[in-house]
Amino acid sequence: MEALRTVLLGLPMTLGVTAGALLIGTALALPLTLGLELRRGPVWFLCRVIVDLVRGVPPVAWLFILFYGVSVGAVRLSALSAGIGALGLVASAYLAEIFRGSLKSIHFGQAEAATALGLSRGAAWVDVIGPQAWRTALPAYTNYAIALLKDSSIVSIVGVAEIVSRSGQLSRTSDLGIFVFVLAGAVYVVLSILVASGSRRLHRRLHEAVAV
Amino acid sequence: MVNVASNPALSTQAGPVILPTGAPDASMVRVRGLAKAFGTNVVLSDVSLGVEAGSVTAMIGPSGAGKSTVLRCLNLLERPDSGLIQIGRHSIDVEKGILPANLAELRRSAGMVFQSFNLFPHMSVLRNVSLPQQRVLGRSRAEADEVSHRLLERMGLRDKSSQYPNRCSGGQQQRIAIARALALEPEVMLFDEPTSALDPEVGAEVLEVMRELASEGMTMVVVTHEMRFAANVSDQLVVMADGQIIECGDPHQIMSDPQHPRTQRFLKAVLDR
Repeated sequence: MEALRTVLLGLPMTLGVTAGALLIGTALALPLTLGLELRRGPVWFLCRVIVDLVRGVPPVAWLFILFYGVSVGAVRLSALSAGIGALGLVASAYLAEIFRGSLKSIHFGQAEAATALGLSRGAAWVDVIGPQAWRTALPAYTNYAIALLKDSSIVSIVGVAEIVSRSGQLSRTSDLGIFVFVLAGAVYVVLSILVASGSRRLHRRLHEAVAV
Repeated sequence: MVNVASNPALSTQAGPVILPTGAPDASMVRVRGLAKAFGTNVVLSDVSLGVEAGSVTAMIGPSGAGKSTVLRCLNLLERPDSGLIQIGRHSIDVEKGILPANLAELRRSAGMVFQSFNLFPHMSVLRNVSLPQQRVLGRSRAEADEVSHRLLERMGLRDKSSQYPNRCSGGQQQRIAIARALALEPEVMLFDEPTSALDPEVGAEVLEVMRELASEGMTMVVVTHEMRFAANVSDQLVVMADGQIIECGDPHQIMSDPQHPRTQRFLKAVLDR
C-alpha cells in the first residue's frame, strides 16, 4: 500500500511533464507543418532540416543538451523545464509529420471550394482545413501522446520526481525491490488504456455526425 | 454613389434592369485571349467569350477540351498565362498582374458549383451555407442563417438544415452547394459538370433547380455533358475541342447543323447512342 502511495505521488508530475511536452510540441508543430506544406524554398528547407535533426537525435541526448548545455543568463534550466523542453522539442517534429499526413488526406476540393467562395486564407485554414485535419490526425496524435506518457519517464534521469523516479527511490530504500516497478508499470498501463479509450470515444463522436 | 446621368456607360441601361451591372454593354462575363499551358502542353489557346447578363451559356465538348479550365480561369481558381477576364464591373488583365483585392472582388461576383460538390463535411448543412456569408460578406450569424433557411427552403431542403452533408443524397448535396454559392449573391453562377457525379434520376433534381435559376434571370455558365439541358435551357452554346472554342452560337442551330467537323463528330457520338 505504501508502495502504491509512493508511485501515485509521482503521477501528477508524470501527467504534468506529458501534458507540458504535448502542449509545447503541438504549438511548435503547427508552424513546422505549415513550413513543410510549402514543399520548396528556404522556409521549407529550414523546417525540413529542423524536423529531421530533432527526430534524429535521441530524446535523452536532447535532455542532456538542454539540462547541461543551455543556460539563461547565469541560470541553468531546471530539471523540470529541461525535461519538458526536450520532450516537447522531439514531439514537435513527430507531430508535424502527423499533421502533414492528415493534411494530405483532405480532398483538394475543400481548399478549392473555400477559395472559390472567397474565404481568406486564414479563414480557410481555421474554419475548413484545420478542423478536418485535426479529426484525421486524432488517432495518431493520441497514439503519440500515449508513447509520450511513458517516455516522460526519461526525465527521471535528471532528477524530476515523477513515477519512475519515485519508484526507483523506494525500490532502493526498501525491500520491495522489483515489485515497485511492476506497480509503476501497472499504473502506466491503466493510464494508457484510459487515454486510448477516451480518444476512441471522441473519434467516434466526431465521425458519427460526419460519417465520411 | 455613381452618378448615372453623367455616366454614358450606365445611362444606356434605361429600361428595366434585372441584375445590377455596370458593364458598358450587356456582357456580364467577358473573356479575351485566354491562354494557358503546362510546359509544352497547351491547355487553352486564345479563348474569347462573352456571356450576356441574364443568359445561360452551356459549354460542351470532349473530355480534355479545356471546358472546365475556362470555367476555373473565370474565378482564377486556375491562373491563366495571359488573357483578360471580366465579370460584372470587375476585370483582371492577367499580364498586368493580379491584385489580391481585385481577385477577391472578382471571386465574390462569381459563385461556383463543383462536380464533386465540395461541401464541408464537418459542418451541418446550415453552417455550410451560413459560414461563407459570415466570413465573406460579414453578415451576423442570425442574418446569415435567415438567408440560408430561405435558400434551403427554395431548394426543397428545409428539413435538412441540421443534418451533415454526408447524410444527404448526392442530388441534395449538390443543391446545398448551389444554395451555398447563391447565398453570397453572385452576379454569375459557374457550374462545373454539376450532374456528372450523380445518377441520372438524381441529376434531374439538380437540373430542375438550375432551370429555375435560369428562368429567374441568373447569369449562368454551365460546363456539361447533359445535351438536352444544353439544347433546351441555354441561350448560347459553346463547343470546345483541343483548348479552343471551335463553335459558338445558337444551341438549336449548332445541335441540328454543326459546322465544324470536330463538332459533327462529337455530337454524333453523344446524340446517337
